[in-house]
Amino acid sequence: MNGIWLVALPLLGAFLLPIIYRHLPKKVGKWTGPFILLINLGIALELWRSIPVDSAQSIAMGGFPAPLGIIFYVDRLALLFVMLVVLGTLILWLGSELGRIREETLLLLLVGGSCGLALSGDLFNIYVFYEIVAVASYGLAASGKTGAGYAASLRFLILSALGSALLLLGIALIYAVTGTLNLAHLATLAPYMLNDIVGLSAFALMLIGLGVKAELFPVNTWVPEVYITAPARISALLGGIVSKLTLLIVLRFLVLIYADTDAPLLLLSLGVLGVLTGELAALRATDLRQVLAFSSIGQLGLVAIAFSIPGPDGVIAGVVLALHHALVKPALFMLTEAWGGHFKRLVGAAHVSLWGTLLFIVLVLSLVGIPPLPGFWAKLLLLKGAFATENVWYHTAIAVVLIATVIETAYFMRIVRLMFQQQSEPPIKPRLHELIPASTFAALLALSIVYVGTITKNMNEIAVKVADKKIYISNTFPVWHRDFKKNALTENVKIPNSPSSKEETQE
Amino acid sequence: MNLREISGLIFIIGLGFLLGAVFKCLPYGEPITGVGQTITALAPIEVGTTNIVASVLLAYRGLDTLGELTVLFVAATAIGMVLGQRDPEISSQPEAGFILKTAANILFPFLIILGAYIILHGHLTPGGGFQGGAILAAAFFIPILATPASPFNHHISSLIEGFAGVAFIIIGLLALFGKGYFLAPLFGTGEVGHLFSAGSLPLLYLAVGLKVGAELAGLLARLQETEASD
Repeated sequence: MNGIWLVALPLLGAFLLPIIYRHLPKKVGKWTGPFILLINLGIALELWRSIPVDSAQSIAMGGFPAPLGIIFYVDRLALLFVMLVVLGTLILWLGSELGRIREETLLLLLVGGSCGLALSGDLFNIYVFYEIVAVASYGLAASGKTGAGYAASLRFLILSALGSALLLLGIALIYAVTGTLNLAHLATLAPYMLNDIVGLSAFALMLIGLGVKAELFPVNTWVPEVYITAPARISALLGGIVSKLTLLIVLRFLVLIYADTDAPLLLLSLGVLGVLTGELAALRATDLRQVLAFSSIGQLGLVAIAFSIPGPDGVIAGVVLALHHALVKPALFMLTEAWGGHFKRLVGAAHVSLWGTLLFIVLVLSLVGIPPLPGFWAKLLLLKGAFATENVWYHTAIAVVLIATVIETAYFMRIVRLMFQQQSEPPIKPRLHELIPASTFAALLALSIVYVGTITKNMNEIAVKVADKKIYISNTFPVWHRDFKKNALTENVKIPNSPSSKEETQE
Repeated sequence: MNLREISGLIFIIGLGFLLGAVFKCLPYGEPITGVGQTITALAPIEVGTTNIVASVLLAYRGLDTLGELTVLFVAATAIGMVLGQRDPEISSQPEAGFILKTAANILFPFLIILGAYIILHGHLTPGGGFQGGAILAAAFFIPILATPASPFNHHISSLIEGFAGVAFIIIGLLALFGKGYFLAPLFGTGEVGHLFSAGSLPLLYLAVGLKVGAELAGLLARLQETEASD
């Protein structure tokens, strides 16, 4: 099975969906989207099964070999994020009323773009898919069709457009220095060409650009506004699931290009600032959705801290934190469809819907990190990885994470206490098609407790392979990797301050 | 000038200074890894276009072009969702003056021919699907500017838009079944420089042109129709 199907199918579906709705019975249109997502999930599972953990499917688009054409790099980590996006969208899709043509088209495009983002092994191609995801997000953020939603979406658009421009500038800098866009090719060139001041400033620009969607510290001002005004399932999808994908790209950059530089420290400091500001802002917030939005800034800060830890320890901690947050936050957002707004509306919720309240408590406890819930395990991995670095900055980050956990506990427990109080005017009962997706996510969370051993073992294997850039290079250039210097394309590499390289090119 | 504007100005000047310092370090105009040179040398032989840009856009980086098409489609869909319904008072808008109306009628066939020419010769001369598509869109939009009351058929434009996008992907998938690679050029290169050459590239450009044209025309018409709504 070729990994391109994961992108081609949702795009095909999105192009056809408006036509299907207009010319076929409405039932066909309603089920087209979920059907495509199911097939996509099946393809992803089949690829997962057929690709061994230490290899990857490297697909040359159009049959042009690696640095000339575009490469898709399908390994287990990328597939994990693909499955996360597809499964998450499917669950949230079934939780909404079917038959909103434009919204469903945008969702399919978002899935197609996200899959491309996770799989692509080419810088400019990553930019293109990032744009698809970003533009689909603006549209979905405005799909509540309220004035406030339009305003929030417009501000999101302006900030995100600035981010895209910076990302493109960073990619252009890298292209100007190296003349190539292929990630594996860049990985072989980086030690000579990119680990200097120009390369690092390119990384900073790309980090800020990608950071808009990853809710990184200075460029996350759109987050609370959009998540309050968008429909709950859209907030769940954007905040819980899609935001992680750009951090996956940052992880690839760090592992492949900037492994032995100060670049991880930049990500670390932005992550620490994100955790601090996110949790402190959540403490002050008085609106449930605002709390969840700020807490998601904090959680993504944690993932950023984890990915900045060099080696497999950082990869596993980051991936587990990201997966955990991607199960918990969408479920919480689904509950806010009925319980959103000021905390006062939550008073007495336990008497209205005990199941919803229990779900809320379990999810929140996992988010804070109370054993035996998976959140505890994820945070433990982060702390373990940070301790192992023996670097004072990472140790400071540990202190910040622990303080942030205390703050998190404080504000969530305040909300839980309100839910059990008596109130003359009871809050709204969550509807079934909000409770079912939330329960599904919670069920997946419960499954992960049962299989924690198997998951840890698998994740460890994946993390070790992902953190090794030699594997990425040798999977992309199967023939070259032994002596890639002999290849015509790398022969012309100008290595600064090294007289031997000139002799090589003269041969 | 208040404090906010001054700090913004200082930020922009500082950012410009930093970027300038970084740009100073760049090696302009030197061949580096040879990827670009290799493509320039190989493109006429491997893909068979005289317009090297077309072979990069559709063959070497065909997936990026599919992505760009999708970005346009996403933007059009999102705008369609935000703009909502047709303004009911649109039919009472006055027509434009005599000169614009006559010019619109005269220009229409010429713009169609020019757009089609640029799309079909995209693999031979500068131009191609995106440029030609924009000209096609202009051909359909100028009459709307001249007589705002005349209805634009969104049905047909969305049909063309959808099927052109599907055609691009189907051609890519045919290559996947035939040659084992998504969007690989099909049917050989033909005789370089002829209209029927460069394999499946002109077909891809035709799909791009139709899609861009239908999308832009639909988008402009929708913006014009719903101007008055809030």
